Amino acid sequence: MRLARLKPRTLGVISVVAVLLVLFVYVALRAGPLAPIAITVTSVESRSIAPALAGIGSVQARYTYKIGPTAAGRVKRLDVHVGDGVVAGQVLGEMDAVDLDERLRAQQAAIDSADAAVRQADARQAYARSQARRYEELLAVRFISEEVVANKRQELAVADAALAAARSDTSRLRAELEALRAQRGNLRLVSPVAGLVVARDADPGTTVVAGQAVVQVIDPANLWIDTRFDQISAQGLAAGLPAQIALRSRQGEALPGRVQRIEPRADAVTEETLAKVTFAALPQPLPPLGELAEITVRLPPLPAAPTVPNAAIFTVGGQRGVWKLVDGKVAFAPVALGRFDLDGRVQVHRGVAPGERVVLYSERSLTAQSRIQVVERIPGVTP
Amino acid sequence: MISLAGRDILHAWGKFVFTGVGLGLLIGVTLTMAGVYRGMVDDGKALLDNSGADLWVVQQGTLGPYAESSSVFDDLWRDIRTMPGVAQAANVTYLTMQVGTGDADVRAMVVGIAAGGSGEPGWPPYLVAGRHITRGHYEAVVDISAGVRLGDVLRIRRNHYTVVGLTRRMVSSSGDPMVFIPLKDAQEAQFLKDNDAILMQRRRTEGNPEFNRPGVPGLVDAVIASQTSNSYVNAILVRLQPGFAAQDVAVPLRRWKRLTVYDRAEMEGILLGKLIATSARQIAMFLVILAVVSAAIVAFIIYTLTMDKIREIAVLKLIGTRNRTIAAMILQQALVLGVLGFVVGKIAATFAAPLFPKYVLLVPIDSVLSFAAVLAICVVSSLVAIRVALKVDPAQAIS
Amino acid sequence: MAKSGIRIERLAKRFGSGDTAVLALKDANMQVAPGEVVGLIGPSGSGKSTLLKCLGAVIDPTAGRMILDDTVIYDDGWKVRDLRALRRDRIGFVFQAPYLIPFLDATDNVALLPMLAGVANDAARERARELLTALDVAHRAQAMPAQLSGGEQQRVAIARGLVNRPPVILADEPTAPLDSARAMAVIRILNDMARRFETAIIVVTHDEKIIPTFRRIYHIRDGVTQEEAGEGRGFES
Repeated sequence: MRLARLKPRTLGVISVVAVLLVLFVYVALRAGPLAPIAITVTSVESRSIAPALAGIGSVQARYTYKIGPTAAGRVKRLDVHVGDGVVAGQVLGEMDAVDLDERLRAQQAAIDSADAAVRQADARQAYARSQARRYEELLAVRFISEEVVANKRQELAVADAALAAARSDTSRLRAELEALRAQRGNLRLVSPVAGLVVARDADPGTTVVAGQAVVQVIDPANLWIDTRFDQISAQGLAAGLPAQIALRSRQGEALPGRVQRIEPRADAVTEETLAKVTFAALPQPLPPLGELAEITVRLPPLPAAPTVPNAAIFTVGGQRGVWKLVDGKVAFAPVALGRFDLDGRVQVHRGVAPGERVVLYSERSLTAQSRIQVVERIPGVTP
Repeated sequence: MISLAGRDILHAWGKFVFTGVGLGLLIGVTLTMAGVYRGMVDDGKALLDNSGADLWVVQQGTLGPYAESSSVFDDLWRDIRTMPGVAQAANVTYLTMQVGTGDADVRAMVVGIAAGGSGEPGWPPYLVAGRHITRGHYEAVVDISAGVRLGDVLRIRRNHYTVVGLTRRMVSSSGDPMVFIPLKDAQEAQFLKDNDAILMQRRRTEGNPEFNRPGVPGLVDAVIASQTSNSYVNAILVRLQPGFAAQDVAVPLRRWKRLTVYDRAEMEGILLGKLIATSARQIAMFLVILAVVSAAIVAFIIYTLTMDKIREIAVLKLIGTRNRTIAAMILQQALVLGVLGFVVGKIAATFAAPLFPKYVLLVPIDSVLSFAAVLAICVVSSLVAIRVALKVDPAQAIS
Repeated sequence: MAKSGIRIERLAKRFGSGDTAVLALKDANMQVAPGEVVGLIGPSGSGKSTLLKCLGAVIDPTAGRMILDDTVIYDDGWKVRDLRALRRDRIGFVFQAPYLIPFLDATDNVALLPMLAGVANDAARERARELLTALDVAHRAQAMPAQLSGGEQQRVAIARGLVNRPPVILADEPTAPLDSARAMAVIRILNDMARRFETAIIVVTHDEKIIPTFRRIYHIRDGVTQEEAGEGRGFES
């Protein structure tokens, strides 16, 4: 009976103390800086990887035709709007002629007047010629003096010259008329190719300078992606490689394409290589120009080699390497890295062999002295 | 001789344990408070550790990149790379901003890291899930405290980033999770606010007659293009070749490149001395208050426990118990209470620490110190009770 | 060692000094032989309590003599250095309420005194058990005080008073809370123990039930004791 009275209390005290002690030891060793570092482990696999390059770019037209007047002037009319399809030779609009027609008429009148002057000079020349012939005959019979005949010969030469001048003047005026007519014809804005109007930069009434584009036309059949690849990850980029194009407006849809060419000049400031990527088949509806596109260029698969995820690569003392798991402890092994693919797998040329177990994820930075605990998943990571 | 203190504790163990647990929770709060301070310091150090840099090259005369804004040209790293003693130099940008995750957004420090793979200065040194960034754009590695999962899409300014990797303890000095994105994206994010802002900027530029001259077609486009590109980074992280002292490399950089250079010790000084100094003092004040409150409560508890036994103490004195024995009984009880409280407090603090939104780091030396402090407080506060007990008149026992 | 009980002569106690001085005890004289149980009776304020405290060496008398077992312990001043040890080893106390230590069981309550005197735990407990057996509470030896009845508690308290074999036991109203049957039982025990352990027992009381049991009674009035013969003849074993 006494024992029965004593026991529950003693048991209670002992159990409370025991629970506290166990918790305390757990807390001291399993939490805080003394706790072992949770790591996950992966095996080095020997496998082939297909490296890929990722670039970013925007949809651009291969050819852009900027149509505008060759002389300063005012826009008279524009027949097309943005989005209209045009055919080659189609008149898209016209510049205002202003006084050009009047100048044409004046020129015509000047030509008429010059023609009259030619006729007048012709008549004068005919008369001078007949006079000269008659005085020659009179000189032959010694009816008049030599001096008079010389006088008539000089008059004929003057009349000849006057006629030639009048004729040249006429052709000059005619040429000027042609020039005015050409200008008149050039007031029309004509599309050189069949294409799509993408910009209408000035509306009727706007005065534009020579060379300023009024309408821009592109060739929609020739769209490409102006792509930038980071130089560090542009190894193996070459013209002709197949590419996948993901447009920002069509996420999740990969359009086939091809690397058209690598630009001979890279961007020195952004440290990027520029390339043009064309669509295998143009998507319909056409993507707007300037739309963002992500480009993935798949390179031919590499021969099998020891491969680890890139998360297993750590840097210790400036050296890249892996933490190998040997007898429950970690040991750092420097490695020589090869190519990687976009899924984060990297080939290792030297330092590990297939089948070796290496640290993949770790809770904290590891050192060779770290106490470790291999877990399935790092605590706190939701699957 | 039997232990009077032990027998008394055993007799009223329920009361004693509850008192100890109560005291323990108070001690737990104190430990946690110390842990909050340690966590802040550790956040700062984690920031420096994770950058993997030996030197920080920043804009001349600034305390950047963490404590102050700093900008240097993004092609400057090439000059620095060629300086003797420099093993690696990498651009980095830091920008604390709201990052959209699904419907919500979190405050995060967006870190722009130069391409080159893990191991480059600035890259997260380890992951807990996923992989490192492999694409040059629109991928992100995020600290797990941001509450995102692999495959989630983050909104930073006007672009979307796919979370490809998760890491841990990569936080800014104020404890915000870090989001690692490619440098070029980060440069853009730092400059481009949002679509509206870009439009406004464009409109403003177009409205400026200086830039929109009728006789110079294309000028306004060129101006806008130059406005929307950003060729600055916040700092250049430098890793030294083995055998070079930080200052040996820093001095010529300061002198000839006209830049400000900090080494690890100086950077720690800036972070701890300038960024978190006030918060640390604030917490120190709290610690002092909590310690005083704890001491007062321990004193009060011991005093009450003693006052409850005043009659027994009088009897004990009457039947000839020495003062030493009575003082020892009270002192032992105080110490046991202290130990119990400390154990409970340590357990409570450890289990509560992960629940705090910011990092709480419980350092063993803090536990040892606080254990000593708790015992000291118990000894001191039991002195009051002992004094009262010793003044008890044994005659009280006789009616 | 021949025992001679306790004797006090002209014991006086003054509280305070000067004009406010109160002479609580003027002239107290007592003589109690070993094995004898005497009563100490007096109304409130008569100095009864003061005398008890002086006897118990809890307060200091101001004048007089106290002789315990042929040793002068007080002669206008204490003659023993360690009053605590004196109380522990040579004076036993039994109180109105038992005042057991609540966190010790019956055995340890009794054994505590020899332990305090330096006796080993086992030996002390052995002595305690002997006494508890003698007082007929051995079956409750491991019960806590709260689990004991009033009578049992009082018996344990008496055992505690006796455990160090003191020459004198001071019992302060030991029967106050008890009914007459239990009170008589306590008085019987005290008489038995006095004889058995050759202890002088002074019972301070104003319990009318037990006054008739004393052979000798000291009346105290205004600080002066007066001896008179009691009606009782004690309890013969």
